[in-house]
Amino acid sequence: MSNPLHKKHHFIERSILSALAFLKDATTSEEYANRKGFLQSLDPRFKTISFFSFLVTAVSLKSAVLISFLYGFCLILVLLSSIPVRHFLVRTLLFIPLFSLFIVLPTVFSAMTPGDPVWSFHVAGITGIITRPGVDGAVLFVVRIATSVSLVVLLSLSTRHSELLKVLRLFGVPQIFVLTVSMCYRYLYLFATMVENIFTAIKSRVGVVSHQRHGQKVVAWNIANTWNRTTQMSEEVYMAMLSRGYTGEPRLLSKFHATPKDWLWLLCAIVICAFLFYRGHTL
Amino acid sequence: MVFGAVMIPIWRAASKAVKKTLSVRQVPYLAIGAAFSFVIMMFNVPILGGSTGHAVGGVLVAILLGPWAACIAVTVALVIQALLFGDGGITAIGANCFNMAFVLPFVGYYVYKFISSGSPAGSSRRIFAAGAGAYAGICASALSAGIEFGLQPLLYHTANGQALYCPYGLNVAVPAMLFGHLVLIGWVEVIVTALVVKYLQKQDAVFFEGGRS
Repeated sequence: MSNPLHKKHHFIERSILSALAFLKDATTSEEYANRKGFLQSLDPRFKTISFFSFLVTAVSLKSAVLISFLYGFCLILVLLSSIPVRHFLVRTLLFIPLFSLFIVLPTVFSAMTPGDPVWSFHVAGITGIITRPGVDGAVLFVVRIATSVSLVVLLSLSTRHSELLKVLRLFGVPQIFVLTVSMCYRYLYLFATMVENIFTAIKSRVGVVSHQRHGQKVVAWNIANTWNRTTQMSEEVYMAMLSRGYTGEPRLLSKFHATPKDWLWLLCAIVICAFLFYRGHTL
Repeated sequence: MVFGAVMIPIWRAASKAVKKTLSVRQVPYLAIGAAFSFVIMMFNVPILGGSTGHAVGGVLVAILLGPWAACIAVTVALVIQALLFGDGGITAIGANCFNMAFVLPFVGYYVYKFISSGSPAGSSRRIFAAGAGAYAGICASALSAGIEFGLQPLLYHTANGQALYCPYGLNVAVPAMLFGHLVLIGWVEVIVTALVVKYLQKQDAVFFEGGRS
């Protein structure tokens, strides 16, 4: 995937930044998940079910106003959960919704969406007409995406990742799959550090690889080398699992405890979703 | 969500196929394979004009692990991206998995197998086959995504015909998705996949002789 916005960065720095961005994201999420706040105090199972209900509601509603209500509620939860609002807004609004806006922009014009004109302009002899259905459709599209992304990011920021992965069992995901996902997530820290070390080492020994072809060879060599290291590691990990009593049947520790507060929260979530669905049908 | 239902039998078949070939060692092997498929995206490759890009690596993982194991590995990577980092959309996870964990590795792998069949482990035909597989896989995946986007205005719209989700029909969505992949993204995939196979051949050509590849 090309990224011409970062032309000024050399591929070595870009790779180091990618690895560091992953580590930073993961560490920040864990930090917020460990804070004392409303969402952090809920049982991850109840929290996931409620957020999944909000998500289905946001995706199903056909009114931007009602979806905005859900977005506002999401921001209140951010405030109640000791998550910095600025960090949350930057993370949720800066890339995906802006990208969606860029995608949907042509549909506001009459050439793509005919309808009542709300504004027209002339540029270089071309007349552009923006229509009401075009604007309504674009607003609905962007608001829905912004709300969906915000809900998922809030769930991820307020829940320890290890617990969130265990909750997958709730949705009937086989234990072996959950174990694979959990193990994979732990190895990502190791591999991200590995990528950072590889490129820091290249930078400190070679400085800058200026030739494009040579740069491609350096990257490919290091991916191949990473693959070799991962296969060796899988043997070692298997041996370590055997030595700790792994018999081929994985068992996950689960220490979730539901309280009346969790049931009350779930009830509130159901009431909110039902209200929004009802309003959506009567609008 | 429809694609989530489509993926269930595919994941079931993948689990069965993987159990058969990887036995009890499958858990660390798959977990580390999935982490590898995630990490490939962190390697930035220099491309034209001083800019950089990254490969998706689905076909490379299919060549290294086999298509069924790649299906699980890429699914795991996508689940982690969507659930923990909010990068892929939870409600689109079925469609994303169909395109990137099923279409991409399977098309790429079988193009690779078809072109490389009968060639020696260290032959340059395998490098070409890996590149061709990567290109075919990523473009087929983009075509599949373009069709899914393009069908949405036909399937989901208001009474007055206004699209509820993706606003572009097949005539816009398919060319838009294919263009970038045919012209640029596909070639990043070709470079990475072919060069990695070349280096692995140099290090240990036996790897390509039997089993999964």
